[in-house]
Amino acid sequence: MFRENFPISMPRFTRTGFNVLVTFGLAVINSGCGEAPQAKFKYRPTTEDLIPEANKAVVKTLTEDFGTPEKLVAWERFPVDYGGVKGTVAANDGPAGAFSVTLDGDAGKIAKGASLLWVTGSQAGGKSAEATVKSFNAVTKTLQLASASTAPVAGDRFIVAFGEDMQLGRVVYMKNCMHCHGVTGDGDGPTGKFLNPRPRDYRNGKFKFTSTQSQEKATRDDLHRIVQYGIPGTYMPSFLLLGKRETTAVVEYVRWLAIRGEFEKRFVEELTNDYSESVIVDSIKKAQASYEEKKRNKEEAEKPLSESKAKKEAAAAFKKYVDDKELDGAIEETANLLAAAWTQSETPEVSVVPTSQRVEDTPESRERGRLLYMSNTTKCYTCHGPTGRGDGAATEDFWDKPGTSVKFEKRGLHDEWGNPLKPRNLTLGQYRGGRRPLDLFRRIRAGIKGTPMPAFGETVLKDPQVWDVVNYVMSLPYQQKQPTAVKHPAEVVAKNEEKPAN
Amino acid sequence: MSTLNPTIDHADHADHGGHGHDHAHKQSFISQYVFSTDHKMIGKQFLITTLLMMMVGGGLALAVRWQLARPWERMPIFGDTVFGADGGQISPDAYTMLFTMHATVMIFLVIIPVLAGAFGNFLIPLQIGADDMAFPTLNMLSYWFMWPAIFLFGASFFMYGGGPAAGWTSYPLLSLLREAAPGSGDAQTLWLLGLTFVGVSSMMGSVNYMTTIINMRAPGMTLFRMPLTIWSMFITAILQAFALPVLTAAGFMMVADRLLGTCFFVPSGIVVNNAPPTVGGGQTLLWQHLFWFYSHPAVYIMLLPAMGMVSDMLACMCRKPVFGYKPMVYSMAAIAGLGFIVWGHHMFISGMNPALGMTFMVSTIMIALPSAIKTFNWIGTIWGGRVQFNTVMLYCIAFVSMFIIGGLSGIFMAAVPVDIYIHDTYFIVAHFHYVIFGATLFGVFGAIQFWFPKMYGRMMNETVGKIHFVLTFIGFNCTFYPMHMLGIAGMPRRYADPYHFPYLEHLLPLNQFMTASAFLMGMAQFLLLGNFFYSMYFGPKCGRNPWGANGLEWTAPSPPGHGNFDVLPIVYHGPYEYGSPVSGDKDFLMQTEYVPLAQRVAAEEHH
Amino acid sequence: MHWWFPGDGNAYSTLGGKIDDLFYLILVIVSVTFVGTSAALGYALWRGAAIKADEKVWFSHGSHSLEVIWTIVPSAVLLFIALYQLDVWAEYRMKGFAKEKDGSPKIITVVAEVTARQFEWRIRYPANGKPLKPTPQPDDIYSVNELHVPTGGLVSITLRTDDVQHAFFVPMLRVKQDAVPGKMIPVWFDATMPGNYEMLCAELCGWGHYKMKAMLVAQSADDFEAWKDKASAEQFDDGYRKPAE
Repeated sequence: MFRENFPISMPRFTRTGFNVLVTFGLAVINSGCGEAPQAKFKYRPTTEDLIPEANKAVVKTLTEDFGTPEKLVAWERFPVDYGGVKGTVAANDGPAGAFSVTLDGDAGKIAKGASLLWVTGSQAGGKSAEATVKSFNAVTKTLQLASASTAPVAGDRFIVAFGEDMQLGRVVYMKNCMHCHGVTGDGDGPTGKFLNPRPRDYRNGKFKFTSTQSQEKATRDDLHRIVQYGIPGTYMPSFLLLGKRETTAVVEYVRWLAIRGEFEKRFVEELTNDYSESVIVDSIKKAQASYEEKKRNKEEAEKPLSESKAKKEAAAAFKKYVDDKELDGAIEETANLLAAAWTQSETPEVSVVPTSQRVEDTPESRERGRLLYMSNTTKCYTCHGPTGRGDGAATEDFWDKPGTSVKFEKRGLHDEWGNPLKPRNLTLGQYRGGRRPLDLFRRIRAGIKGTPMPAFGETVLKDPQVWDVVNYVMSLPYQQKQPTAVKHPAEVVAKNEEKPAN
Repeated sequence: MSTLNPTIDHADHADHGGHGHDHAHKQSFISQYVFSTDHKMIGKQFLITTLLMMMVGGGLALAVRWQLARPWERMPIFGDTVFGADGGQISPDAYTMLFTMHATVMIFLVIIPVLAGAFGNFLIPLQIGADDMAFPTLNMLSYWFMWPAIFLFGASFFMYGGGPAAGWTSYPLLSLLREAAPGSGDAQTLWLLGLTFVGVSSMMGSVNYMTTIINMRAPGMTLFRMPLTIWSMFITAILQAFALPVLTAAGFMMVADRLLGTCFFVPSGIVVNNAPPTVGGGQTLLWQHLFWFYSHPAVYIMLLPAMGMVSDMLACMCRKPVFGYKPMVYSMAAIAGLGFIVWGHHMFISGMNPALGMTFMVSTIMIALPSAIKTFNWIGTIWGGRVQFNTVMLYCIAFVSMFIIGGLSGIFMAAVPVDIYIHDTYFIVAHFHYVIFGATLFGVFGAIQFWFPKMYGRMMNETVGKIHFVLTFIGFNCTFYPMHMLGIAGMPRRYADPYHFPYLEHLLPLNQFMTASAFLMGMAQFLLLGNFFYSMYFGPKCGRNPWGANGLEWTAPSPPGHGNFDVLPIVYHGPYEYGSPVSGDKDFLMQTEYVPLAQRVAAEEHH
Repeated sequence: MHWWFPGDGNAYSTLGGKIDDLFYLILVIVSVTFVGTSAALGYALWRGAAIKADEKVWFSHGSHSLEVIWTIVPSAVLLFIALYQLDVWAEYRMKGFAKEKDGSPKIITVVAEVTARQFEWRIRYPANGKPLKPTPQPDDIYSVNELHVPTGGLVSITLRTDDVQHAFFVPMLRVKQDAVPGKMIPVWFDATMPGNYEMLCAELCGWGHYKMKAMLVAQSADDFEAWKDKASAEQFDDGYRKPAE
């Protein structure tokens, strides 16, 4: 089944202690001021721009297959670990509602009251299929359900506590990440707009600092690393002490948000050309202009459609598009593409691993690296500057917006998200993607995704050459600095305060 | 004891002629109620404004408490309207804004103006026997300078990035660099300008109070016959006059840093939010020194007048002279004097010279001494008195006992080593709420009940007053006492979500209990407002001296007309001659009441 | 319900123990005072309620000797509290600058430079066997939100901030010090027991103030060195693994 998705049950997440204490009119405030607003996923402007029929279809697809922040839906098509213990019925020979099972994983999560979901067999698919675990005997591997009506047969697949990790990830995300990255993962949370650089917008499916090749997605480990150690020089702090389970869960949730966002993006891109209001209006305007031009030249011309008529036509075309199952085709195609991409990123083949050891960090190696840095094969200096201060000539130019001939309003480089971007000042010793030589190797070999930092393939730089550049770059912070007007205060003060320390 | 006999001969006459008295002062609505130069009207304007501001500040506090009880869950009203798309949970910068503005409103728009502005204005001329303040127009201006401040503080909420969010102390660089916090943009500039307006307002008041108290006392009103209220207002005015310029200057320096690029408080080379590095060789600690040089004395500005008023009320409600009048005056003066050399105790761990910590510790601990003397004297005042357990007295008792707790908890943080641990924890929050709310605000509630008859000629409702007292007292203690525990458990201040620290997780239920209590306390304040406005129009009418008190204000009609007194009062006694043997069958002896020599001699012999 | 000092209530540093002792000393003094004054207040009120309307009150303007007593006694107690504290404070903040008895400068090992920034702690250690330099060195070891220190004896950290003011706070060790922009502040303390102690920011530093959750890991000197070696190896990992033969 292609669109196999399951709703994830709402978490039980109440603070009873508080509710008990609320005796003095507080309950009125809590419940009496109308319905609590629901957290919502925002849609892209391109989605909002579709004609109402198409927009409705997109929103319906997204809501059915991904749910809302309050009520998540798991789309099994995607390589996301939603959590839960999977198992197979070994035999159904006990009393009613009890059967022995073989579990795929650890049984630790199976507790009384956990929900059970049938994946295959006669119970699967139906609305009433959700069952509740009454008890689980870890020794005999017997599962007792609360209701005795289910009668599975051996070989039926099920999941217990499905979506548990996803729920946890959502809770962690809403507590720790949402204020900057936004509920949708669009980098536009309430605090996000005040930060420089702007928080990542996951909806392009791109993460900057990864261990994979330049066209690949990020791996779980990459995201895990970023969550754990943060990104120095930005507002992304280190969540080292978040807890192992929470970190894993939130990484999974972020991947899911990225998939959801990119699904929306790609799916809508399919529709934009034909069913976007602004495209329709634009084409009518153009047609109107040429019609008037022709009329002025006394040529034969067909009067273009009125705007409302054109929209009606588009709506009719969209209905046909749906009826011809082309919409479903587009959904399937997009989903397949994303599923494949995110699955592939986890395979070792796409991981960037040096084939040779780091070249010994000698002055000669650094010099070779410096020459490469200044060479026209790499052109590092054009952005990072001849002294590595991130002040290369490229930062003074006006650049085109990607895919258009319109220039950015601000001088300097921009990333794929349209935010101004400064090339890293390499003399600070601050490495956003990590300070291991391996990390720097990967930055050079695979580039930084979504930014003008390119990937230097094997044909441009051999592995030892990359290591030379790495050695050179890593030596930059410790070189004799050129005197500057402003001395770092820490150095000045440090001299005075060294005494007690020594 | 309702209306007592008028105590001066021509009082009867004056009562009847009371309305006729201000026949010459027919005033338009605007000049009588809005731009009034009458100290009584200005006092009432201050009082009502501050009471309303108290509700605003209280609302902000409840929002803060909500977040601490239910972190990252839907917050009604505020969260619903501003953060609806996020499910109503507020953002962390909104939380910092909430507590910053709670403190700002409560300190600058409630506590300071309600004491000096409302009661200072209303009581000073009445209690010293003057017909008005020395500079009535200046007085009017001091009220109307509050409003720009209110508008600036209010407008700061609507700036890009929300209200100021650097705490009421506004430590640079957080408050100074635009990039450091969303609220440090224009909102912070407006906040600083608002602060300046509040400062100017206070300064005009304090100049006025000093002049009035020195120059305009009635005949016979020697310095040591002044009620302690007047003494406290006098000392407060001096404190303010000397400390405030420092804050105003510091505020302008910060504004200059922000707008003109001077670098008084900015060290060089600091990079915040990837903005260009700062230039200039300033010092962030300088702000802390300047700020606390005002704001520590300001704590006493927020406390001394309440002390004075409570002394007045206690004596009256215990029908007994204040115990140790002069020691009370001297200890207030000592508090004011020492108050100038203790500011460093806010900065024990700020990185200033540690040797200074020692001197500041000694001076800080010694400032507890005059406070202790005052407490003992209050107890001495109650001792052996005939205590009237009415609402006023209840508030005064609450004042004394809450002040004892607040004062004693101060010793912990005055001790530098202990302060290393409890600095910037909830222990501090508990301490200053016990002093500012527990002491000052309870004193103010009592004073409202006590002087309301003089303000409006009607009594406030006793039963509602008592209910309000009980609810507020319980709510207050249940909210703030546990904060000591939070502080000892190491919960830092100003945390939007302390519970993701494992060692603080278990404090959530306690915080929820405190929030519930805070809501109880918040709701109870509507009783006060209701009582206040209801009694203004429908309370039982009262005579000149409903409490049987001695002060000059009680010889004037209720409410006093323009010019206050029917005749110029002449003062023969101190303000606290309750239960005096020479007073005959009454248990009080008004300051204007002349006792013939023979009677005095007889009483003395009898004594 | 554990509403007292964090953890098991004990301080895990020598200084912390002294702070706790002082705290309890003040607590006793304060409790006695509180009970005494409250009892006096309560008794006075109780007696005051009992006096009948026609009864004469105690007409008194005060008592000189009482005033003298309750000036001198509290001031003696307060002075005692003040002077008794001085030594602990000196030990925490000043004696590190003083010389040893024989005139040699006091030596407290500087283990790390702790840099607070919005909203995390970045920590820099010197490589094993080297002293901490004020400027970064190529072989320095870095960690984030995890400060490792050796136990046994005083250690010192250099506290600084990258941006706004922060405060270094380790509740279990009772250590707190503001990190002031433009300053480098030495902070010394000891951890008496190996273990993990929570470390946080105690001075409002912006909207993410509460996010600065970190851990102070106290280990024996050997473990500390071993950890540094391990961290160093990890930090200089070039990712190259010999292919399995």
